[in-house]
Amino acid sequence: MIKIENVKKEFFKLDKNHQKNKFFAVNDISLKAQDGEIVGILGPNGAGKTTLLRMISGIMKPTSGTITYDKKNFNKNEIEIKKEIAYLSGNTKIYKSISAYELLKMCLDFYDYKKDHEKRIKDISKILELDSFLYNKIENLSTGQTQRVNIARCLIHDPKYYILDEATSGLDIISSQIILDFIKNEKKRGKTILYSTHYMEEAQEICDQVYMINKGKIIASGSPNDIKKKTNTTNLRDSFFKLIGGKKNEN
Amino acid sequence: MKTKIFSILKKELREVFRDKKSLSMMLIIPLMIPLLIIGMSYLFDYQINKSIDNNYHVGFNYKLNEIEEKLTKKLNFNYKIADEKELKKLLETEKLDFYITKNNNKYIINYDKNKETSPINLSVAEQYLNSYKNYLQANFLNKKNINSNEVLNILTIDYKNISKENNNFYVNYITTYAFLFIIMAITISATYPSTDTTAGEKERGTLETLLTFPLKNSDIILGKYLSVFISSIITGLLSFLFTIFSLIYVNNSFKLYANINVLPNISTSLITIFIIICYSALISGLAIAIASHSKTFKEAQSALTPLTFISFFPGMIAFMINIKTTSLISIIPFLNFTQIFNDVNSKNINYLNISLMFISTIIYIGIILSIIIKQYQNEKILFSS
Repeated sequence: MIKIENVKKEFFKLDKNHQKNKFFAVNDISLKAQDGEIVGILGPNGAGKTTLLRMISGIMKPTSGTITYDKKNFNKNEIEIKKEIAYLSGNTKIYKSISAYELLKMCLDFYDYKKDHEKRIKDISKILELDSFLYNKIENLSTGQTQRVNIARCLIHDPKYYILDEATSGLDIISSQIILDFIKNEKKRGKTILYSTHYMEEAQEICDQVYMINKGKIIASGSPNDIKKKTNTTNLRDSFFKLIGGKKNEN
Repeated sequence: MKTKIFSILKKELREVFRDKKSLSMMLIIPLMIPLLIIGMSYLFDYQINKSIDNNYHVGFNYKLNEIEEKLTKKLNFNYKIADEKELKKLLETEKLDFYITKNNNKYIINYDKNKETSPINLSVAEQYLNSYKNYLQANFLNKKNINSNEVLNILTIDYKNISKENNNFYVNYITTYAFLFIIMAITISATYPSTDTTAGEKERGTLETLLTFPLKNSDIILGKYLSVFISSIITGLLSFLFTIFSLIYVNNSFKLYANINVLPNISTSLITIFIIICYSALISGLAIAIASHSKTFKEAQSALTPLTFISFFPGMIAFMINIKTTSLISIIPFLNFTQIFNDVNSKNINYLNISLMFISTIIYIGIILSIIIKQYQNEKILFSS
């Protein structure tokens, strides 16, 4: 289980007089993701989703608050926790001058994977159909193939937790569907998935729980159906606009 | 931990060796070293042979006697007799090297001080007149029944060369310049992979991926540092090899180095390789420290440009001004490498200074690496965008 309690992240931004002003990109957020659950983190661009997920994946430190994975925290068990996490984001890129095989081999080394590396790569490449381009340099692959390699990178060490930040952002329908199918399959395998997106329809399709975020704060949480019921709307997009009290075209 | 550092090192080296720009940076400057050594040797050789083989073009404003004619032949003079006005014109148009005018017993050597060869011309003219003066003095004494040999050679002058074996000016000159080029090659070779592995990785977005892996910051930094260090050493050793091959070539091809062994002996070579390794280690750390502060590849390259000058400048100073290597100089980064090389090149090996250079370099690298590890904990630097 992933448990986030009262997490805040403070940044500085410059105003027009070049004065530093404090602001909270993430402001007092608490959430839980149970084992075998897909938890959606929804919100517009700039809501604080990426910062929150960067903190949850351990690549950023919260200004205050706690993040625990089955009672383990990053201060004491950083390496141990990171071995169980897979982080996939629209912003994260993979090394292009190496082949998919070399990338997967490198990931297994980094994760200290104890079992047979060759067999693991063979199995994953079979599942994600990487065989035809496994030994090609990543820079020569298409966007869809690259995304499959990226997913393979996440799967390779058989993680317990997935943290997916705008993973379908900018992808075509086929590539997006590959990722959504992958998430559904991993849920079936009992994995915990944190999934951030600004595509509300996607969240409605796959999430068990959703947390709606705006300006660094949670504005609603619950199952997609609960939120729709509470806001008396038929889809999560309308729920979001109702909650922020604005019109659709304002965002 | 060792396995993780090795995995990062493997990944970084793969990137360096598959990147054409990094590879060309590693090879371009070393390839220039043979051009430098052969080019400089050719110029030195040309200058020296020109002065040895020259037939001097000399003018006189008076008719020469038999003795004077013999002397002109002995000194390879092509002489011309004309009036002073014409001789001056010929000197101005560089058809004469110098001319001698005579007024009773007073001889005047007329030469152009601005000419590159004027010191040699002046010395030859003096040699000619002194020989003639000696002849006249001997003749005068003999006529007076005085042994001219006893009088004229009452004091004899002899010359003895005390310079150490191989301590030839030209050899020292080209080897020191070659060493400065090796230093420059290493610096340039270190800057490209260090930029690529830090700022480049940030710009490409792969740093975020790397940070999600269960890796300690120290493992990441050490892996990156070692990859830059290895590529710098490769450049340094290649440059050294090219220097040796070039020296073998010039030693056999130019008269300038006849009867001199231009090649460094084994101890000089080993210490030079040791200096190259120490310098590569320091410059790799410095380059990573500077580049990791930058947000983009371009920004890192601009920040690293002064490093190329800083690395080259103290060496030039040490080469031009004769500084004695003290214990203090042995621990001053950049200056110490060139100074110790100069000493070793002049067969003046001081193991205390070499040890001080080595220990201080290790300390500097330790400080630099701990600064970089701290930088990698700073989100402002990692996620500056």
